[in-house]
Amino acid sequence: MANLNIRNKQERTYEAIVIGSGISGSWAAKELCDLGVKTLMLERGRNVEHIKDYPTTNMLPYEFEHRGQITQAEKEANPIVSRCYAFREDAKHFFVKDAEHPYVQEKPFDWIRGYQVGGKSLLWARQVQRWSDFDFEGPARDGFAVDWPIRYKDIAPWYSHVEKFAGVSGNKDGLDVLPDGEFLPGYDLNIVEKHFQEQLKKNYGNDRHMISARCAHIHGNSEFYAEQGRAMCQNRNLCQRGCPFGGYFSSNSSTIPWALKTGNLTLRPDAVVHSIIYDEELGKATGVRIIDAHSKEMEEFFAPVIFLNAAALNSNLILLNSTSSRFPNGLGNDNGLLGKYVAFHNYRAGVSAQHEGHAEYTTSGGRPTSGYFPRFRNVYKQETDFLRGYAAGFSAGRNVRSNTDGIGMDLKNNLLNPDQYGPWYVGSHMMGETIPKESNYVALDPNLKDPYGMPQLKINVDYDDNDEKMVKDYLEQMTEMFEKAGFTNIRTRDDHRAPGLDIHEMGGVRMGKDPKTSLLNANHQLHAVPNVYVTDGASMTSTSTQNPSLTYMAFAARAAHHAVAESKK
Amino acid sequence: MNRRIALRHLALISGGLAFIPSCDFSSDDILTAYENLKITQSQKQLLGDISNVIIPAGEIKGALDIEVPDFILVMVNDCLNSEQQTLFSTGLAAFPGFAKQSGGGNFAKLNTKEKEALIVSGQNLEVDETEKGAENKAISYFLNTTKRLTIQGYMASEYIQSEVIPYSLIPGAYNGSVLISDIQKPRING
Repeated sequence: MANLNIRNKQERTYEAIVIGSGISGSWAAKELCDLGVKTLMLERGRNVEHIKDYPTTNMLPYEFEHRGQITQAEKEANPIVSRCYAFREDAKHFFVKDAEHPYVQEKPFDWIRGYQVGGKSLLWARQVQRWSDFDFEGPARDGFAVDWPIRYKDIAPWYSHVEKFAGVSGNKDGLDVLPDGEFLPGYDLNIVEKHFQEQLKKNYGNDRHMISARCAHIHGNSEFYAEQGRAMCQNRNLCQRGCPFGGYFSSNSSTIPWALKTGNLTLRPDAVVHSIIYDEELGKATGVRIIDAHSKEMEEFFAPVIFLNAAALNSNLILLNSTSSRFPNGLGNDNGLLGKYVAFHNYRAGVSAQHEGHAEYTTSGGRPTSGYFPRFRNVYKQETDFLRGYAAGFSAGRNVRSNTDGIGMDLKNNLLNPDQYGPWYVGSHMMGETIPKESNYVALDPNLKDPYGMPQLKINVDYDDNDEKMVKDYLEQMTEMFEKAGFTNIRTRDDHRAPGLDIHEMGGVRMGKDPKTSLLNANHQLHAVPNVYVTDGASMTSTSTQNPSLTYMAFAARAAHHAVAESKK
Repeated sequence: MNRRIALRHLALISGGLAFIPSCDFSSDDILTAYENLKITQSQKQLLGDISNVIIPAGEIKGALDIEVPDFILVMVNDCLNSEQQTLFSTGLAAFPGFAKQSGGGNFAKLNTKEKEALIVSGQNLEVDETEKGAENKAISYFLNTTKRLTIQGYMASEYIQSEVIPYSLIPGAYNGSVLISDIQKPRING
């Protein structure tokens, strides 16, 4: 028996374990495997294989029974995920339903999750803007959170590393707030977007910019990506279904098959992580305890290095649930700050309008991105009554007008022979930086359990006065910019959505220089348990305004190389 | 319960006779495919007639030819809330009476112009606090919903999107500055 147990343990021992198969986990695994490390990747959801498990990817609109709509019964059973813009008939199978993983909302928080191999990398909006030192230096300059232990120069080569492999389309815009990267050819802005760009230049000089947003789509150099089995983006804009071309970056199309091809990756889906095992004598983490999603049996896996990439709040949950007599309040949580200083992106506000000009023009074809408005507020110095600022999405477009007046033959003829274009519409939405605060936290509920017997996560995250001021400023400034550009029928909105719907929740296991005030060091290692790395959104010290996934990819790749270098010491 | 009984009576009067050979006609006249709605076969037929007035057949097929009424009922059954479903069902049930009163007879026997006029007047019925107003509200909700879903079901049908205005899964590279005068026909599908 003893021998059997030893063999059994050997079979469940790897050189590294990565918890989570989403954007950051798959990058950690890919780098580890490329460096020859025998890696186990644990994923709580089912397996989703590239192409094979994209059931809706080539479906035509009429093949969806409800033409894309979510049914009333689904909405009533899933009030949380139903609020997500992408939870539609074509992609609903990639979202976690409300009852699958309940949590406690001490304050309203829409926690949008994707539990499957690939995680939310199948569903993301694929926007990849780099951070600059205006972002990394934010907390130190403005006196909030703690200073980031890294700067742009530390992460820049890793941005390049992941951009080249993932495939990022963009233009060299030469903006100090949004550093240029390793770009495939960028997508064009349309004639009205260019008009707005020119108007900004005319009205604001070199202070405000609108560029073609950098996106993780293959738009050139197709031979290089053929090695990954991926092809050029076909402008279908059906990305949320999974792309049969691998036209955009997902774990499923890119990093996971790549890692599997090395022969070093073992992928274990249906493994709900319970906790990280800490050995008091050795003074380090030795493995991971999982609950099999089907049998509900507990199982343990072992490795000298563990990467935690379960997505921001689930990484918090796992650490909080990893208790021992050395760490009674959660792994690495000597200072009591684990789960605290959670932040997000403020997506509440938008401005839309019409443009009367360029009436003789329209657009044709499709593109996977649109315009991006980098932060201009408080960049070089503090200039408003709120801290930090916001980025914004921007796009213009034009629809064929569908005349649905009347009934009978007139209606039919109008529907089948549309001959009028509506006016150009323009729209913008804000992406505001929020300030991490101790009072915005997640914790384990002492009583409530989820269907696996795990404690439920209690989420207590809210807007503050800084966010309110920022919403007001965004609405005022964007309205002014629209007015100056000659747009008409300008409408503003603040939908007061709950935090979480931005799907950019961050923090709780923040990086920092001082173990007294942070959980992770400059290399993403837990200060107190250095063989545990956290490289997903949980590690974020501050949020800045950029869509964060690219930064998580770069973090994961950088930390994986650090872990391998450490193991060779 | 009352509504259900009333509908069964309606079924008896309008189309139930055809079902007598099946013996148990206390329930089989209600279409079980739409479980949230108590819709009878004859009501579905009426819905089909109405959708066919909204988008009639011609050189290009009409709504009824491509089974748009099925789509309408699936959408009402699955995607509307129970209050909206009640309004829809009530409006549908009240429509034959409305046709007799306002259109001067059985809907099926009116000519096309009369049918169109009746539907348009029904869409715009005055709604007030009276019992009549409540019925008017249901009739106009039913007709407006039917029109909306007829248009949706028709335009997003396999027939239209493959034979009339083909849908393109791959719409081609983006051109952000196209002169409308250079385009032969506005593109609406993909």
